This record gives sequence, C-alpha cells and structure tokens, in this order.
Amino acid sequence: MSGLDHVDNYPEIPVSLAPTSTVLKTGAWRSVRPVLKTRTAPCNAYCPAGISIPEYFDFLTQDRLEDAHSVFMERNPFPRITGRVCPRFCEHGCNLAVATDEEPLSIRSIERWLGDHTAEVPHPNPAEETGKQVAVVGAGPAGMAAAYYLRRSGHKVTVFDRRELAGGILRYGIPEYRLPTEIVDNEVRKLENMGVEFRTRLALGADLKLEDLEAAYAAVFVATGATGQRSTGIAGESLLEPGLAFLEAANRNQVSLPGERCAVIGGGNTAMDVARMLQRMGAKVTVLYRRTLTEMPAIDEEYERAVEDGVEFHWLTLPRRVTKLGAKLLVTVEQMRLGTPDESGRRRPESTGIMREMRFDGVFSATGEKADTTPFPDRLRDAQGWLDLDVDGATKDPLVYAGGDLATGPATVIEAIVAGRNAARAIDAELGFSDRWPAVSPIDTVSPAEVNVTYVPHHDRADDPPAVTADPFAEETTTLTAADVLEEIDRCLSCGYCNSCGTCFVFCPDGAILWNNGPRIDHEFCKGCGICVAECPGHVMVLVNEREVSHA
Amino acid sequence: MRWVVPEAEHMAEGTLGCQGCGGALSMRLVLKELGQDAVAVLPACCWSIIDGPWPVHALDIPVLHTAFETAAVVATGVKAAKTVQGKDTTVVAWAGDGGTFDIGLQALSGAAERNEDILFICYDNEAYMNTGIQRSSSTPTGTWTTTTPDQRPEARPKKDIMGIIAAHRIPYAATATAAYPEDLERKVQNAVAIKGGMRFLHLLSVCPPGWKMEADQAIEVMRRAVRSKVFPLYEVRNGRDYTITHWPDDLPLEDYFSLQGRFKPLLGNDEMLELVRGNVEERWQTLLARHEASHPASVGSN
Ligand SMILES: Cc1cc2nc3c(=O)[nH]c(=O)nc-3n(C[C@H](O)[C@H](O)[C@H](O)COP(=O)(O)OP(=O)(O)OC[C@H]3O[C@@H](n4cnc5c(N)ncnc54)[C@H](O)[C@@H]3O)c2cc1C
Ligand SMILES: Cc1ncc(C[n+]2csc(CCOP(=O)(O)OP(=O)(O)O)c2C)c(N)n1
Ligand code: SF4
Ligand code: SF4
Ligand code: SF4
Ligand SMILES: [Mg+2]
Repeated sequence: MSGLDHVDNYPEIPVSLAPTSTVLKTGAWRSVRPVLKTRTAPCNAYCPAGISIPEYFDFLTQDRLEDAHSVFMERNPFPRITGRVCPRFCEHGCNLAVATDEEPLSIRSIERWLGDHTAEVPHPNPAEETGKQVAVVGAGPAGMAAAYYLRRSGHKVTVFDRRELAGGILRYGIPEYRLPTEIVDNEVRKLENMGVEFRTRLALGADLKLEDLEAAYAAVFVATGATGQRSTGIAGESLLEPGLAFLEAANRNQVSLPGERCAVIGGGNTAMDVARMLQRMGAKVTVLYRRTLTEMPAIDEEYERAVEDGVEFHWLTLPRRVTKLGAKLLVTVEQMRLGTPDESGRRRPESTGIMREMRFDGVFSATGEKADTTPFPDRLRDAQGWLDLDVDGATKDPLVYAGGDLATGPATVIEAIVAGRNAARAIDAELGFSDRWPAVSPIDTVSPAEVNVTYVPHHDRADDPPAVTADPFAEETTTLTAADVLEEIDRCLSCGYCNSCGTCFVFCPDGAILWNNGPRIDHEFCKGCGICVAECPGHVMVLVNEREVSHA
Repeated sequence: MRWVVPEAEHMAEGTLGCQGCGGALSMRLVLKELGQDAVAVLPACCWSIIDGPWPVHALDIPVLHTAFETAAVVATGVKAAKTVQGKDTTVVAWAGDGGTFDIGLQALSGAAERNEDILFICYDNEAYMNTGIQRSSSTPTGTWTTTTPDQRPEARPKKDIMGIIAAHRIPYAATATAAYPEDLERKVQNAVAIKGGMRFLHLLSVCPPGWKMEADQAIEVMRRAVRSKVFPLYEVRNGRDYTITHWPDDLPLEDYFSLQGRFKPLLGNDEMLELVRGNVEERWQTLLARHEASHPASVGSN
C-alpha cells in the first residue's frame, strides 16, 4: 500500500443500533430476586381494630379522601371519636420512633382530621336487605359499631338503651372538653339515616327480657358496658360522691361544687376526668391513689393533662375512713408502700400502718366500675359472674352475643368498637352470609430493623393544637390543618405498604424497575443487587432465593 | 413519585455493569437530565463494556469508543464537528478515574485550559476496575487493590482532581454522587445550562466487587462517603466561587470504611487511620473556608 490508498478500503465503522435489552437478558445473572410484598405495619398491628394506616395515609397524599375514608371505615366507623379519645395504641408501635430518635407519627391526630373532614359524608347504602332483624342492647361504642356493620350488611337493626339518648360513656362519661356531644349526636344521626332504629329508655332486665329478645330477633348483641358502682371498702362510703354519676351530671350542666377543696379517689380514666372536671369548675383537686404513677391505669395523656390543669397527686395514699367534720369531710389515709406484683403485673400496695388526716369539702370515688351481668341467666355466666364468651363474643345461646366493657370490664372505646364489629361479623356469618367483615391478622409485621430511615424529613411531630378559648368546658384542642396532615404523613415510612415513593425506581442501577404510577420489577433484567430492597423506606420489598421461585 | 428526578429513561436494560454498579447508575441518572440531544465519548474503562458489545449498545444517545488517554480531545473534536453542522448538541466525555486522573489528565488539562465547550464527567470508582482493580492516583490512602495488597496498601493520598480542575478556572465544576440524586440532577442541569465553556463533574461511583462489599449497600456507602466528609458535595464556579450543596453530619469515618473490605488494611492500622482522618478534616476545612469566602453569610444545615 502506498499514499492514501488504504483510505478507500477503510473498514466501515461498526455501529450498534439495537439496545442491549434485545439480547442481554441480565436477569439470568441473578441468584436472589426482589419481590414486592405487602406486609403489616406495626402501627396497624398495634391498633386493636387493625386499621390499614399506611394505606389510608397514601390515599390522603393522593388527595383521595373518599378512598382513605372507606379504607378506614372498613375497620372503625367512628374516626372523629377515636381520633380524639383513643389512647393511640398504634403510635406505641410506630417503627419510626423505634428506629430513630424521632417521635412516632401523630396517627390519632390524622385520624381526627379524616373524621372531621368526612363528618358530613353519609354512610354507604346498606347491602341488599336480608329481611333479618337484629337486636342490639346498649348504645355505647360497642353497640353503635355493631349496628353500623350489621346495617351495612343489610340487616334491620334495633338498638335499645336504658338512657334517654344513645352514646353510652361517649355521651355521659367523657367530658365535653375532650369529646363534644355534638359529635356523638352526629354519629347517632348518621346511623339513623342508614336505617338503624334507636329505642331508648328501655332497660334490659327491667323492661326487656333476654328470652323475649331471643325469641323476637334473629340475633341479639348485648353491650351494656361496665358502669356499676363498685364498693370502695372505705368506712363512711355513703359520704363519697360516685365519680361517674358526677361526670354525667356535669356533662348535663346539672351540678355545683361541694366546695373549693376536693379529693378524688382512684387512678383510672374516670378519676382523671372527675379531677379535671372539678378543677375546671374552680376546685383545687387532689387525687389520692394507692399505688404510684407507674401502676396507674389512666391513659398517660389524661394524667399529663390533669397535671397541666393543676390537679395534685398523692401517691401511695389509701383512704381508710371518711367522717363528717362540720361542713367538711375528714379523710383518714394510710401511707402505702409497693410490694410484689399482682396478677396484672403491677406492684401491689402494702400497708405501713402509718395514718394521717386530710380535710376536704367533697370527696369523689372513682375506684373502678363493674359490669352488671344480672340480666343474663346463670347458664351464660361463669362462677365469678362474668359472661362466658368465645373470641367473637358468642354466648352459649345460639345467636346471642355480648361484648365491650360488659365482657371485659372497663377498657377503651376502640376495643369496644372492635367487639361490636367482631360480633357483627359473627352474626352475619351465622345468618348465612359470606365473610363480609373479615378479621385481619398481621402478616409478617415489618420490624424496626428492616426500615430505611434515611429519607425521613426531620420536622416536629404535628399534635392537635390547643384551642384558643376562655370557656373551660369547650373542646380543649383543635384539628390539624390539611397542610399539617400532609406534612406529618411525609414522615411516615409506609411500613410494608408501597406508597409509590419512587426510591427503588430512582436507585436501580439497571433501570429494571419500571414505573407506571408505581414500581414493577422487570425480572427479565433485574440482576438481584438488592439495592431496591435495602433502600425502600418501608421494606415493602423482600429478596427471595431464586431457587425457591424457579422450582416452585 | 416523591423524587424530583425525571421519569424518562435513556439507558436500556441489559447493560453489562456488575450487580450494584455505581457507574451504571451514575450514567442512568445523568442521562435522565441530559436527554437525547447529546453524544458520549468513552475512553477505555468499565463503561466500554457496560454499554454492551457490538451490535448492541445501551444508551439512547450516540457513543464513541475511543483510546484511554483521549476522552477530552475526542469530545472537543466531536463538539467542533457539531458546531460546524450548526447543532447545539451537548458533548460529554465520560471517563473513569484512570481516564481522568491518570492517563487522561493531559488531554483533560488541555481542553480545560482552552475552555472547550464540552462536559467532562468522571465516574470515579477509585481504581482501574475494568482491568481487575489496579490502583490509580484516585485510590485513597489505606486502600487494598491488586497492586496495593493488604501488606502494602495505598500509601499516597487521593489526587485532588477538583483542585486541579479549579486551577484551570473553568466556568463550572462540581462533585456529586448517585446517592443524592436530586443534587446530582441539579448539577447536570447547571452544567448543561452553562454552555460555551468547559464543565466538569466528579461523580463518586461505587464498585461493589472492587470495593469488596455487598451490592445492596451500594447507595448507603456513597451516602456515608458524603456524610463523613470523605466526599463532600459542592460546586465551583470559575475556579473561585465555592458552594457546599449538602452539609455532612458527624458520621464517623469508620462507618464509611467498615462497609468495605478494601479498607481492611486501613482499619487495622491506627497510625494510617489517624493520618487519613487528618487529611479528611484538613480538606474539609479548606473547602469550608472557600465556601465561607464565597458566601459570607451562609454556613449551616441542609
Ligand atoms: C370517665 C371515662 C372516661 C373514659 N375515657 C376514655 C378515653 O379517653 N379513651 C378511651 O378509649 N376510653 C375511655 N373510657 C372507656 C370507654 O369509654 C369505654 O371502654 C367504652 O365506652 C365502652 O363501650 P361500651 O359500648 O362497651 O359501653 P358503654 O359506653 O358504657 O355503653 C353502654 C350502654 O349500654 C347502656 N346500658 C347499660 N345497661 C343497660 C341495660 N340494662 N339496658 C339497656 N341499656 C343499658 C348504657 O346506657 C350505655 O348507653 C372512659 C371511660 C370513662 C368512664
Ligand atoms: C493506553 C492504554 N493502556 C491500558 C489500557 C488498558 N485499560 C483498559 S481500561 C483500563 C482501566 C480503566 O480504569 P478507569 O479509567 O478507572 O475506569 P474503570 O474501569 O475503573 O471504570 C486500562 C488500564 C488501555 N485500554 N489503553
Ligand atoms: S383507633 Fe386508636 S389505635 Fe387505632 S389507629 Fe386510631 S388512634 Fe390508633
Ligand atoms: S412509620 Fe408509618 S407505617 Fe411505619 S409504623 Fe409509623 S405510622 Fe406506621
Ligand atoms: S421504594 Fe417506594 S416505590 Fe419502591 S417499593 Fe418501596 S415504597 Fe414502593
Ligand atoms: Mg476506575
């Protein structure tokens, strides 16, 4: 060759025109594969009702309020109520709080917002009428929840209650400043609008007999609560005011203060509400409790608010005797000390023999209430007088169920709601319908060790803001704004639920996560590096050994 | 999607990057912002392989494979040709650390000094990975490679390529990593927007086999490099104005090193570890001082 001859036979430049994906099926390199797997979030597992919290949060961020609402209502029909008074079982399980030093998601406040913003949304139309009639006795949260799910199933529902108005403790016990009566009224009205019939001033035992209800209705659910006054064992008991009766009268504005210095005996929710109510009415209140703060059964938040209101607490203080001393009451109390744990695991108070005297204008008892099971025949009760029930609340009589505080003793609103729903589910099934209100048990709950907290924005948790009001009986807190709710949800890891955050998509080095409003793993090309699994904030992806998949 | 990262894909599936390849991810993310009116020039490096064998290739844009030392000069030529054609195409030289810090440095310096209208991107995996993990001048002190074995780990500090580039006073240079995709996309945007002169991006890019680590920790390791100040994220305009774009926290250096088997010799050698700690801190203080000088009122948090 000479000169520039070679330029003529210069080889053509090799050009590639087809993409690698046409021939290089890199999925074959893989020994493990990521798969999307919906799993239970711990908040959901800790909520007695099993509310699918990350799922409805996701709907809220997508501005799909109706979908968020209906996901919620599948498990709890009263978000406005539990959104105010629930002890936030869910938040105690929040992975964010365990995996970081951040505070748990403010789930209850978001629930309250959801409830308030759907307050005027009517309940869905009931399913096709079944022609079956179900009686519910007791219009507290247990009875109202049962009525909701039974009515949605298409059964006719009549709710009996001995009071003038429905609501149970929600109306007559929990004070207005925590749960406005207007909210309870609205829930009752919405149930009426879906066809639930309320018949009040009729008491089981006195006006209604269980046998008659059994004969007249296809099924009966009894949820008459636990509001019976328990003897305090204090000498001079008749000088004490029963706390629950005081709250009921106070909620109706029908009491006056016995005087400035008041004592409340007990350490449960009733004690906290009585103390706070008295304090708000202008009294100086001292709570006398025989154990210490650690053993006290009241909801933590209620104790904290009582302290904020100015209530004083005397621990390890057990009243022994109350006597009249002119216009005053003289209370003789014994100093206690903590001993060994009892059946509940709490340390028992023990006598020291050291006595002292205290003077008050009024003393209120709130040492716990008990269920009244006397309207039930003996065959349905055990030796202690408790109802003999299975998990869904079934008694030994066919189609007679019981639940709520009646069955458990004083518990919480959400547990009463769960009991009502469980009974409704069981009754619906017994009446011959398919599982319309399925129970859910947690699937492979996401642990705090599995989540990736890298992408959590660091801002303060959003709690219900205090209300600006001079009226001590008006609601003491307000509802978050929509913007606060969205900002709060931003902190959620969405444990076990894909909320289409896009993290897996962004970080896949192989582009093997396809995006169409959410991820789809392209197993033809995924090499199994596991980045998506490691980076997904809520660990919605898991790695599965390829052998298990290919030999399946 | 919550990320401010374009959804459009310009890199096909089926590339030949290893599991968890940071170089592949860097390219995928850069292309999302770059779009299709671009040409890539690749010197010899892992990406010569990752892009696929003839007759297939992975990118939506034309790729020119070229000799190891020539990325910057070939890109300069391609840009000149495009200019003659009246086209405003972005021309990218995409090189490894070898093709940037070592053999590619002369061409790079020449292009930078002439302020050529190209975007030079170095995906830095801190060794010659394609040929089997030999050290480069980007390999940090205390690192194992096949040419700096455990008994004789890399002794010299990583070359300060950003310092060298800044000394050329080009309009825009920045560090970035795929672990902070939004920061990365913003810098690509900035680099594309500042046309007419030389732009340089230095992307720390994990290599799981070469760094002796689990592939699923690929993002985490790059994030820790930033958090521990080993690889600060910043921009330099005109070689003078420094801006830190993500503030590191006080993640201990050991948390970065311990994820990677390549730092085993370092973690076992207290004297060397203290030397490295001193170097990291000294470089950070220098950067901070430059940032402060450029922004008298802003030092703080992200
Ligand atoms: C003062 C106080 C504060 C509380 N605060 C909280 C709180 O903040 N958060 C929380 O989760 N829980 C709280 N609780 C507990 C919660 O209110 C109860 O666990 C829950 O209301 C129980 O619901 P239920 O439907 O089983 O019973 P109830 O709410 O007691 O309802 C029972 C209904 O049955 C009716 N009834 C009773 N006997 C008969 C009869 N023989 N015939 C016909 N009807 C009858 C009653 O009139 C009532 O309407 C509080 C309880 C009290 C007392
Ligand atoms: C002039 C020349 N010397 C040596 C080689 C062999 N070679 C090919 S790629 C490579 C290393 C590339 O290292 P780097 O630039 O860091 O990219 P990486 O492979 O690490 O991504 C070498 C030495 C070559 N192709 N040309
Ligand atoms: S009902 Fe109570 S436990 Fe359940 S999600 Fe609401 S606040 Fe949490
Ligand atoms: S981070 Fe979100 S999904 Fe996870 S437990 Fe907390 S509230 Fe539930
Ligand atoms: S990273 Fe985000 S988009 Fe991907 S699976 Fe997890 S939740 Fe879904
Ligand atoms: Mg390299």
